[in-house]
Amino acid sequence: MSDKGKRKLRGNIEGNARALATGFKYLVEPNRMTLDYPVESMKLAPNYRGFFTVDDKKCIGCSMCEMVCPPEAITMIPRVISTTGYTLPVQQGATQEAGAKPAKKTKRPVVNWGRCIYCYFCFDICPVDAFVSSNIHDLAFYNDADYRPSYEEYLKLPEDPVKKSKKVIPKPDIKRGIKYEPAP
Amino acid sequence: MNLNEKVYDISEVGSIEPEGDREIVLQIGPAHPGSGHMRIKAWMDGDIITKVDADIGFVHRTSEWLSERRQFIKAIPIVERIMLPDTVHANLAYVLALEKILDVEPPPRAQYLRSLAAEINRITSHLYGIGLFGIFLGSSTVYMWAFGDREPFIDLMEMLTGARITNSYIVPGGVRWEMPKGFKEKAESTLQYMENRFNDYNDMWVKNPVVEARTVNVGVVDRNRAIKLGVVGPNLRASGVDYDTRKASPYAAYKDIDFEVPRMDHGDTYDRLLIRIEEIKQSIRIIRQILKDIPEGKIIADSIYSQLNPVMKKVFEQQQRVMFPAFFNQMRPASAESIARVEAGRGEIFFYLRTSGDKYPYRFRWVTPSFRNLAYFTDVAVGYKLADLPAIYGSIDYFPPEADR
Repeated sequence: MSDKGKRKLRGNIEGNARALATGFKYLVEPNRMTLDYPVESMKLAPNYRGFFTVDDKKCIGCSMCEMVCPPEAITMIPRVISTTGYTLPVQQGATQEAGAKPAKKTKRPVVNWGRCIYCYFCFDICPVDAFVSSNIHDLAFYNDADYRPSYEEYLKLPEDPVKKSKKVIPKPDIKRGIKYEPAP
Repeated sequence: MNLNEKVYDISEVGSIEPEGDREIVLQIGPAHPGSGHMRIKAWMDGDIITKVDADIGFVHRTSEWLSERRQFIKAIPIVERIMLPDTVHANLAYVLALEKILDVEPPPRAQYLRSLAAEINRITSHLYGIGLFGIFLGSSTVYMWAFGDREPFIDLMEMLTGARITNSYIVPGGVRWEMPKGFKEKAESTLQYMENRFNDYNDMWVKNPVVEARTVNVGVVDRNRAIKLGVVGPNLRASGVDYDTRKASPYAAYKDIDFEVPRMDHGDTYDRLLIRIEEIKQSIRIIRQILKDIPEGKIIADSIYSQLNPVMKKVFEQQQRVMFPAFFNQMRPASAESIARVEAGRGEIFFYLRTSGDKYPYRFRWVTPSFRNLAYFTDVAVGYKLADLPAIYGSIDYFPPEADR
């Protein structure tokens, strides 16, 4: 590399002064984008992809969600349809409906939360749109077994762990980037 | 250009014996303080680097192997997870290759939405690169600033797709969600914020004499050398080559969009910083155009939409959410092969897909920009001091998981 194409450095004084001035500006008036979590937490848009469950009455047990699931988090478990239209475990269904009409066998999906990547492919492949979404995303479990709920546990959405915190909405701002405003 | 000149001697790979009495070998990594795991072997003569070898593969995730054993649709989340700062481009490149095989053409509105998501993603990717470059030079201010300024753009992606990083937004035939109400206003104020921030970046970082002293005339690669090494993306353009896949073989909506490909002259570390800032400015210009010119219409191809059942069509009308026809699960494209090229944040992604009539891909091959820029890395640091190595490494914007795939 010859010295011919080399470029020259600019002067030091002006550049250093400008950098210091900018640093001082943000020292006096810092622009903080972080959220004081969990004292405050974001109220997310309705299309946010969080924990989800399935509508037991809508589901037809077709196993399409199990087939499309990229991390193979969904397992279909056998159930029987009771007289009320909801499903029961196979054992329970057999005892309750003994002697009555033969219980109709079906299957229902259960999600392993340790594997789920929240791509929502199961939502979109479902021919009857049986999945129910939620905004809850900030949840961890104490035990490894809790990541694999039973079907009854899976039907109930987990409780929002930051329910009591102050909910804020991120708003874009020309001066500050993101401004958190209290949610209505 | 002399094509016979030796670019890189493969026989030297793996030898870590110092040559002669003066030389020592430094092992930098693999627990790398920067963007991921890789090892840099540097042969030193005093303080001067005489040879560099990059030892990669520590974060190899078998993306090709996994994708060849799954249905076609399942490769979308897999390719995204390889390029985490740049998910939309990985997703887009794969879907473009698959669409050629399936012979599906997305409608114009979907093309524009793809470009929109890609450009927002390019900005976040460049800010990620600038932030890491900052921390490599010891400036935690710029590291925090760049990662903070990435946040409004990730917020835009969250509004558009429902997820921050791993969006899985693009599917064969179109995109999965319509642009929500209020997106244009939100995007406009985010873009204005970023434009104002450039002044701060200039004062604090880009025109800072300390940064200039550490980056100007360091790690120079001239035009011919860059072409010969097969460098791609901003690093190539920093060396003065006017090449961009968006212009060379337009995909998505780039045919109809007016933008410039920025290019620098010197090819040093400082130029590789400037080019990223210039590209963010161009991305802002593209996003403005897209938001102004986006055509009305469907966001999914008619050939896909017609296969939806009545429930799914109702969902589309009510929620503007595209559901998948059942054939996404059992796609069995006839024997064919296709390629796709996409200009990602770090350079060109090349995708090769071969199908055999089976429900899994027969061959799934992709080359990521970081892998190509690796050749550059072994060449560019030679002759400079060890203290220049972090600056050079940071400026290349190398992302190890992306190269290892």
